[in-house]
Amino acid sequence: MKLRDFRLPHLPLPSRVFLVLAGIFLLLKLARPVIPGSVIVLYMGFVMAGIIIHITLTDHRIREFNEFFLSEPEGEPTATRAQRWVLLAVIPLSMGWWVYDTLRPTYAPPVEIFQRHPTVGEEILGSIKVPDWVAEPAKWSPEAIAKGKVLYEANCAVCHGEKLDGTGPAAEGFRYPIRPANFQDAGTIAQLTLPYVYWRLTVGGIQNQFNSPMPRWTTPADDPEASTLHSYDFTTEEAWEVIMYLYRATGHEPRK
Amino acid sequence: MVFMTNRFGRRRRARLVRLLLWSGQSGHPQTKMTGQAGTKTTPARVGGVARILAAGCLFAAVQSAYSQGLAPGSEYPAVAGIDSRLAAWIAAQLHLMFAAFVLAVPMFALFIEYLGWRATRHGDAQEAGRYDWLAHEMARLLPAAYSLTAITGALLGFLLFTAYPRFMGYLTGIFGPTFVIYPLFFLAETLCLYFWYYAWDRLQGERKWLHLWLGLLLNIFGTIVMFIADAWATFMMTPAGVDQQGHLLSLYDAVWNPGWMPLNIHRLVANITFGALLCSAYAAYRFLMAKTPQDKALYDWMGYTGNLIALFTMLFLPFAGYYFGFELFAFSATYGVTLMGGVLSWLFIIQAIVIAVLFIGAAYYSWLGLLRIPGSEAEQRWSPLFNGLLISGFIVWATPHTMAASIEESTGGFHPVLGALGVMAPKMIAVTLVLVVLYASYLLYRRAGRVPVVSWHRTGTLVQWSAVGLTALAITALGVYGYFAPAEVRIKTSIWQIIVLIIGIVATFALDLFLLRGARTVAEVRWGTLPRRGQYVLIMLAFVIVWLMALMGYARSGARLNWHVFGIMQDTSAGAGLPSLGEVAVIITAITLIFFVLLALAFSISGLARGPASESGGDTHSPEALTHGGRA
Repeated sequence: MKLRDFRLPHLPLPSRVFLVLAGIFLLLKLARPVIPGSVIVLYMGFVMAGIIIHITLTDHRIREFNEFFLSEPEGEPTATRAQRWVLLAVIPLSMGWWVYDTLRPTYAPPVEIFQRHPTVGEEILGSIKVPDWVAEPAKWSPEAIAKGKVLYEANCAVCHGEKLDGTGPAAEGFRYPIRPANFQDAGTIAQLTLPYVYWRLTVGGIQNQFNSPMPRWTTPADDPEASTLHSYDFTTEEAWEVIMYLYRATGHEPRK
Repeated sequence: MVFMTNRFGRRRRARLVRLLLWSGQSGHPQTKMTGQAGTKTTPARVGGVARILAAGCLFAAVQSAYSQGLAPGSEYPAVAGIDSRLAAWIAAQLHLMFAAFVLAVPMFALFIEYLGWRATRHGDAQEAGRYDWLAHEMARLLPAAYSLTAITGALLGFLLFTAYPRFMGYLTGIFGPTFVIYPLFFLAETLCLYFWYYAWDRLQGERKWLHLWLGLLLNIFGTIVMFIADAWATFMMTPAGVDQQGHLLSLYDAVWNPGWMPLNIHRLVANITFGALLCSAYAAYRFLMAKTPQDKALYDWMGYTGNLIALFTMLFLPFAGYYFGFELFAFSATYGVTLMGGVLSWLFIIQAIVIAVLFIGAAYYSWLGLLRIPGSEAEQRWSPLFNGLLISGFIVWATPHTMAASIEESTGGFHPVLGALGVMAPKMIAVTLVLVVLYASYLLYRRAGRVPVVSWHRTGTLVQWSAVGLTALAITALGVYGYFAPAEVRIKTSIWQIIVLIIGIVATFALDLFLLRGARTVAEVRWGTLPRRGQYVLIMLAFVIVWLMALMGYARSGARLNWHVFGIMQDTSAGAGLPSLGEVAVIITAITLIFFVLLALAFSISGLARGPASESGGDTHSPEALTHGGRA
């Protein structure tokens, strides 16, 4: 067995394929911050598709791949033979481990797909009227934004952070299934209209119905007990001021 | 309570819900009663029986609707104890699929027929024969499929009139005049289709122009029929021309509502992709069953042409869909949230994966096609690079913004690095670059086996590929700029990305035409030599596009949530919510299977029309010398 037989260009096609797959898998698995398993499976599916396409694009690659497993020619280098048997052992073992790992009982809660923006009916959203002094972002008054800043820092920043990036002191307590929103991110308020943000702020997570621990920040008229989770209720005006501050401080514009 | 739909799989409020009450080119059911041209051939007789059955269904439906009236308590009457929502969903989707097929096939079949006619005028009888055979072979699938369109349409009408009388009464009140003209156009389409198909052999030679006109009329009437039905479907999503109580103010505005034209465009393009891939699958099946090299060559060429048409139209599909989505969001922010961030957002991850499979499969088939051309090794060398780019692009395309994670893996639902790929701007970059790669593959395919003879070919090739590179660069730059820009600007940059792509394609393709003018052919395409795996890919693509169409049909209709007519008429039936994604997947898979069973039936019936002599491609349309040479 010679060392050069293990150099990449000398390796048989199945060994190269295995190394590519294993390399990408390890890269994804060891990357930090951690990449969720569901995303790794998705990515590996695409990588696998790419590899299958590569192998089957020419007849000689298919033959090379198949013959590596199906024939053991006389005088074959020991290194090649060793690779064959290693692959024949490793492939079923890793698949078996994957099945076992997927099915074994754990105490962890099941993986849950989470909706970033809970769905709200048109009958609710359509009924939220944006006041004239809020409707046009270019005309937002500095005073109202300043009031919004004070309200935000007193009530919201503990989770959403003073920089509005979702890293307030209490944020780590809400790691699963979702952290407090990062308003700086283009995927949050930048994607939303003013009525939706108002609804989200005033309704909150409705006692975790939306998988969100955010309390509601107003008391609904028909349910005076609803806001007992925290000590402060915004008035309608204050809620809009906070929203104006969110947009102005992050530089995002509300979606029309 | 409207918040019932926010957690998949956990709280099933309804047995099945939010369905496609009016999901497709599903016309007013009465229109399906119209008869079609009679004929003595077996498929037409079967079609005639089908249409009589369809008319019978419809008659029963209308009778039922009238007899029930709109008395209190009969708003959602039970129909024969079946789940009427599920039944309407299945009927609507099947009708949509068959309608899409019968609308699309005449479009490209006519174009191919025209190419044949043009070849005749240039004195190239062999080329003319090939094209005419291909167009006729594609049209062969139509009569039986047309009957199935009528049957499923009648079934849908029956279900809607009996199970949703209040809603159908309202829709009839709004669109009454269109319900009158629709059957007229449908009748005109029917007559044109049957004359076009059955007069094929008779209208050859000097009278070919008449046949082409018939085909053109068929397409015009078919498109009008679809546009009328689209008005009903989009009115349900983006109602216009009515006051807040839903009273009609302007029929014109009700028809030309904000979603109408985007859906028309989206369906026109998607239908062609759909029809072309189904024709390809048919060709693949015939290839696999073929006994002679000549038949293999013919069906290989047919499959290739279908895939090429599908690939070309697929280039525009993401943008047509995006345009439709843009109009929906502009109409109501609820749509934007529901589709992209809310209850249907995970459906779009599935859609992204399925679209990726579609594009990758079509590209793979194209790369395999190089094996037909001896001496194309230089072009084949690019395939691994294109493969890598395609896979990378689709990895970005399918990356979710909010990730499903276990408690150990969770970084708060949002990955600090990969999460950035989950929003629109990077996805637009990825998918547009994928289209550039697909186009580049096609350019290489055109070059394979041909040597340009123009003196400036080196400079020309350099300029051409630099332009392709520059297009990719501009698309990326626009996307990066859009990522950091506000939403309104980002939407505009994505439109510019499309414009840049189209300019790049048009410019480089025009250059290619000049570059290959009079090019020396060093290796002919050997039709019929494509590996069998290529044919299996075509069959797989047909399944994928049908499944995808069913998925998106659900998404389009489900986006209305608990409304029959969005914001105007609420759905107050027992299960006005959304099923879980898993349940949706099961149902659309069932629809896909039913569709293919019915389609196989239609194909078998079309096969009955061939005599044993013509079974092996030996009928009047089969060109003799296709096995070697010739390009599509």
